[in-house]
Amino acid sequence: MRDLASTLRLIDWTGWLGAGIVVIMVCAAIFAPLIAPYDPVALSIEDRLLPPDMVHWLGTDQAGRDVLSRIIFGARASLAVGIGAVVIGALIGVSAGLFAAYKGGLGDQIVMRIVDGVASIPLLVWAIAIVGILGVGPVRVGPLMLPNEIKIVLLVGVLFSPVFARVTYAVASRVVGADYVRARWLQGATHWDIVTGDILPNCLSPIIVQGTLLVAIGIVVEASVSFVGLGVQPPQASWGSMLSDARSAIYSGEWWLPVFPGLAISITVIGFNLLGDAVRELFDPRSEARTLVA
Amino acid sequence: MLRLVAGRIVSSLGTLLFVGFALFALTRAGPGSPARIVLGADATAAQLAQFEQANGLDRAFLTQYGAWLSDILRGDFGRSFVTGRDVGTEIVNSLPVTLSIVLFAFAIALVFGVGIGIAAALRPGGVFDRGARLLSVLGLSVPAFWLGIVLIRFIAVDLRWLPPGGYAPLSAGLSAHLQTILMPSVSLAVYYIAVLARMTQASLQETLRGDYVRTARAMGLSSPRVVAYALINALPPVVNLAALSFGYMFGWALIIEQVFNVPGLSRALLNAISQRDFLLLQGIVFLFTVIFVLANLTADIVNRVLDPRQRVAA
Amino acid sequence: MSAPLLSIEGLRVGFRNASGGLVEAVRGIDFSVEPGEAVGVVGESGSGKSLSMLAVMRLLGSPARTTGGRVMFDGRDLLSIDEARMRAIRGRDIAMVFQDPQSSLNPALTIGRQITDVVRAHRRVSGTEARRIAAETLERVGIRDAGKRLDAYPHEFSGGMRQRALIAMAIACRPRLLIADEPTTALDVTVQAQIVDLIAELRRDLGIAVIFISHNLQLVAEIVDRVVVMYGGKVVEDGPVEAIEREPRHPYTGLLQACVPSLTGPVGPLVTIEGSPPRLGRMPQGCPFSPRCPRAESRCETQMPPLVVDFDQRFACWRPL
Repeated sequence: MRDLASTLRLIDWTGWLGAGIVVIMVCAAIFAPLIAPYDPVALSIEDRLLPPDMVHWLGTDQAGRDVLSRIIFGARASLAVGIGAVVIGALIGVSAGLFAAYKGGLGDQIVMRIVDGVASIPLLVWAIAIVGILGVGPVRVGPLMLPNEIKIVLLVGVLFSPVFARVTYAVASRVVGADYVRARWLQGATHWDIVTGDILPNCLSPIIVQGTLLVAIGIVVEASVSFVGLGVQPPQASWGSMLSDARSAIYSGEWWLPVFPGLAISITVIGFNLLGDAVRELFDPRSEARTLVA
Repeated sequence: MLRLVAGRIVSSLGTLLFVGFALFALTRAGPGSPARIVLGADATAAQLAQFEQANGLDRAFLTQYGAWLSDILRGDFGRSFVTGRDVGTEIVNSLPVTLSIVLFAFAIALVFGVGIGIAAALRPGGVFDRGARLLSVLGLSVPAFWLGIVLIRFIAVDLRWLPPGGYAPLSAGLSAHLQTILMPSVSLAVYYIAVLARMTQASLQETLRGDYVRTARAMGLSSPRVVAYALINALPPVVNLAALSFGYMFGWALIIEQVFNVPGLSRALLNAISQRDFLLLQGIVFLFTVIFVLANLTADIVNRVLDPRQRVAA
Repeated sequence: MSAPLLSIEGLRVGFRNASGGLVEAVRGIDFSVEPGEAVGVVGESGSGKSLSMLAVMRLLGSPARTTGGRVMFDGRDLLSIDEARMRAIRGRDIAMVFQDPQSSLNPALTIGRQITDVVRAHRRVSGTEARRIAAETLERVGIRDAGKRLDAYPHEFSGGMRQRALIAMAIACRPRLLIADEPTTALDVTVQAQIVDLIAELRRDLGIAVIFISHNLQLVAEIVDRVVVMYGGKVVEDGPVEAIEREPRHPYTGLLQACVPSLTGPVGPLVTIEGSPPRLGRMPQGCPFSPRCPRAESRCETQMPPLVVDFDQRFACWRPL
C-alpha cells in the first residue's frame, strides 16, 4: 500500500480541479441558508429582471428573485438526486451482485437476468414517464412528507444499479471460487469475513469510479426532469426549472437567466467527471475508456 | 452463428416481456383509476364499474397485461380512454419528427465522434488529440438542452441563420426540413460526439500497438491499409457504444424537442402525462424501450460479425 | 568479391529516458549478409538483437530510435531514404516475421486476405491472380489444401500453421532477405524443428537470404552459414558456424554453447551463465560481459576490447579462449 502523500501526488491538476469543484458545490448545497445572500423564493415585483450588479451579483429573475441565491439552493436538489441515486444504486447493485455470485445456480441466473432487464431500460424516458404518471406531489412515508425528488432518486437509483451489480458480480464470482477463499472457509471464516475482507476491497475502486461518474449523469437527469416540469416543484429552486423559466428570456435578451444555471450544471458535471477520471487513473490506469453513457 | 443470434433474440424478447410488465404495473400504480380519470369525480360506483367492464379493466391484472401485449404484437396500441383517439395513429404521427432528429444527430455523432477519435489516435499529442481531450471534458458536461438554448440565442435570434424552433417535414422540402432539425440534432449530438471520440481513440490506440499492426508494416502495406488493420479490431467496443448511444438519444430528444418546440413524441408524451392518458404513455414508453433493446441487440450481433472468433464459437 | 546484400555499419539504437538523457541499447554494430546467405544473430534478451533488426526495417516504435550508423541495401542507405521508398522495400525486398504467430496475425481477417494484401501492396495484379499467388505461397510453406485454407481465420490454425502463414506473407513477393525474429520461441518443441526446416528449405529452393534471430545457438547452428553473437548492444563474436561451434573465441560464446545439453554428446554437468545481462544505462565501462565473465581481469572492466579479425572469425575480447 502506497502511503497517502505519494498517492495524492499521482493526481494531476485536473483531478484537483474536479475535487475542488465538487467540494465547493457540496458545501454550497449543505450551507445554502448561510451562504445565499437572499431568500431564494422571496418575490419582489420592483426587483424584476435586474441585470447582474453589485447588489444582485447574478441578477434577478421574472419574479424578482435573486439568481445567485436560487443557484446556491438549486445545488441541493441537483446533488441530492445525483448522490442519492448513486447511493441507492450502489446498495441495490452490490447486494444483487453479491447474492448472485454467492448463491450460484438458479438464483444467480434469475438475479443477473433481472439486472440485464433493468439495464435495458432507457433511463430518461422512464424517469419522465413514471414520475409523470405517479404525479409530482409529495410522498407520505409515515409521519414524513418527502418531496417529489424522492421518486426520481429511487427510480434513477434502480436504473443505475446494474452498473454496480455487474462490477460486484465480476469480482465476487472470481473471489468465491479462488483457492485462498476455500482455505479461509476451512479456517472458519464467516460469510461476513469473506465479503468485507476479500470481496468489497476488490470492487471498491471500480464502484467509486463508476459512482463518481454516475453522479454527473444523475445531476443532468435531475435538471432534465425539472426542465420539463416533473422534478423539483416551484417555488423551490432547481437548475433545470430555472433554465425552463429562462426560455422566454432567450428572445428578450436577459442573458443572465439562461447562462448562469447552465454554467452551474456544466461546472458541477465537469467537477464530477474530472474527479472520476482522476480516481480511475489512480486505481485502475489500464481501463482507458469510459463505457458509461446515458 | 444462427443459433447464437436466435438465442440473443429470444433473451431480448424475454427482457421486453419483463420490462413491459414493470411499465404496465408502474403506470397503474399512479393515483386514480382510469375510469375515475375519464368519468370525473362525480361518477357513481355503478358508472365506474360499467366503464371498467366495458373496457376490460375489471379483468385480472395479468390478463390485462397479456391482452395489451398481444394487441401490440398485432400492431394495435389500443384506443385512448381519454381522447378516444387511436394510440397507434398518434404515435405514427409524431414518431417521424423524433426519428428524423435522432437519426440526423446519430449520423453527426458517428461521423464526427469516430472521425475525431481516429485522428486523435493516429497523432498522439497532435491537434486532434488535444482537441479530443478538451471536447471530452466539455462535451460530456454541457447538457444538451442548455446547448440548445444557447444555439437558439446565437444562431436564430442574433444571427438569424436558422429558425428558432418548429418543424418542417421532409415533404416541405429538404432544405426547410434540414433548417428545422439542424440545431436540435447538433445539440443532441455533441455529448455523443465526445463519448464516441473518446472510445474510438482509446480503442484504436490499443489496437495500433498490436503485433499484427507491426506485421502489416513489416510487409510494406500502405499506411491507410495498416490503419484499417488496426481499426477493424478497434471497432467492436465503438459499435457497442454507438448502439447504446442511439438508444439513449431518444430520451434526450424528448427534452430537446421541448426546447425547440418540435411536435414530436415529446409533446405526445407530455400530453399523455398531463391528461393521464395511460395507454398513450405506455405505448410511447414501450416503443422507446423496444428501440433501446433492438439497438443493444444489433450491437451484439454486429460485434459477433466483426469478431470471427465469436462467429464460430457457437 | 561481390557486394554484400545487406551491410550494417556502426548501427546505434537508443531510448530517450524520463530525465531526457539518451540510453543506448545497440551501441555500434557491424555485420553484413551476402546474397542467399543465412546468418544467425544470437544473444540473450536485452542484447539488442531484435532492436537492431527492427532498426534495419525502420519499424522501431517510440521511444526507441536509430541514433547512428548506416544500413546499406542495394547501394542505398535504408536509414536515409524516404518512408514511401522504405515501404516499397518492406515485404518486397526485405520481409520480417516475428516471435508470436498468435498475435502477429490479424484476428479479424482471413489468412488469404492477409496474404493477398501483401501481394497487392507490391504488385499490380487482379484479385483472382493475387488469390492464386496466395494459395501457391501457402502451399509452398507446407499447408495442405491451401486453396480452402485461404478462407480460414487465424484462430482456426494451430500455432505452427500460423507461423507458416506468417512466413507465407513474408515470402509472397519473393524477397531477397527474410528476417526471422525468434520465429520458433512461442511454439512447441516438435513444431520448432519443422519451422526451422521450412526456413532452411525456402532459403535453399528460393535463394532467399535469411537473418535468423535466436537466443539458442544450437538451434540456429543447424541452418545458418554464419553466426553473429551479440551481448550488451555489441557484436562480441562473428564467424562461420563451424568455426564458432568448434572453436569459439569469446568466453560468452563458449558458455552459450555449453548451456544447452547435447542429446548426442557425452553427458556432462548442466552449465548456466552466472548473473544476468547488464541493464540499460548501467553498461560497464569496458567489456559488457566482464561482470559475468569467468576469465575477466581488471583491464576487461575498464577498456572495451576492439573487434579483432582472426582469419574468417572476428571477436572482441582481451582474453579469448
